[in-house]
Amino acid sequence: MRADIMKKMKDAISNVLETMFFLPTEILDRDISLQQWLAHEKALLGSQIRFLGSLSGSTYLLVPEEVAGEITANFLGLGEGEVTEEQKKDTVKEAINMIGGQLLSLLDSEGAFRLGIPELMDEGELGVERLGELEGDVLFIETESNHLAAGIRVG
Amino acid sequence: MAFNVLIVDDSSSMRAVIKKTIRVSGFNVGQYLEASNGAEALEVLSREWVDLVLTDINMPRMDGLELVREMKNDELFRSIPVVMVTTEGSETRVKESMELGARGYIKKPFKPQQIKAMLGDIMGEGEYESGYYEKDEGCDF
Repeated sequence: MRADIMKKMKDAISNVLETMFFLPTEILDRDISLQQWLAHEKALLGSQIRFLGSLSGSTYLLVPEEVAGEITANFLGLGEGEVTEEQKKDTVKEAINMIGGQLLSLLDSEGAFRLGIPELMDEGELGVERLGELEGDVLFIETESNHLAAGIRVG
Repeated sequence: MAFNVLIVDDSSSMRAVIKKTIRVSGFNVGQYLEASNGAEALEVLSREWVDLVLTDINMPRMDGLELVREMKNDELFRSIPVVMVTTEGSETRVKESMELGARGYIKKPFKPQQIKAMLGDIMGEGEYESGYYEKDEGCDF
């Protein structure tokens, strides 16, 4: 079950980032922890969404500021210099909304699940200690210039 | 013929992307109107001429399903076609929205061809059969 969830999570992330954000991605196979990854990342934007149904839990996305600017520019068809902080936050929330929806429909297309409203993770939640405490599985996604992290907590 | 389109989504970025996608698709739009939830959409409907509504499902204050329900209970709005544009792709949600009276369903992530096929078909200006689109065809914004 866990392997199946992670396989579908990879599919959902690739599909959403490539289709809506024009961001070629590769999922890293290297075995690193979230804390090790965080040691190399500085400013992050994070979003999460809860889901309830035949599967319940939450999924989250951690995006370095630089990548947030890139995906927002791609999403809105703007130059990177034209993108505002609010647009970056809105885009990172919309990304987890789409990833969550896509993941759940891949896992259980007939399931009566409900997605919550996507939320931005606040500064406290984005602290290294708090993030290091996140349970569940995490994936690292390689883009041309940087890395993103996405995780899921079920149950 | 140009149609007035109301886009309902709590994400301003997503509203901008839907607008851009419709523009790229070549669907003929007279005026774009926007609302960030179902309640705001009803306010827009009460003061503007709207030919077509595209709405997200999952929104605060009033969600897309409730918006469809309210529109179908109002004799002024009940004939306006509604298309759900949402991340929630489960069969249950699709069935629920269609039973309430939605005319179509587009799942995010989407491509301009899907939007054009769906809107053209619903507004009687389709050059594609409903649901037909080249899934792997790229798009140029």
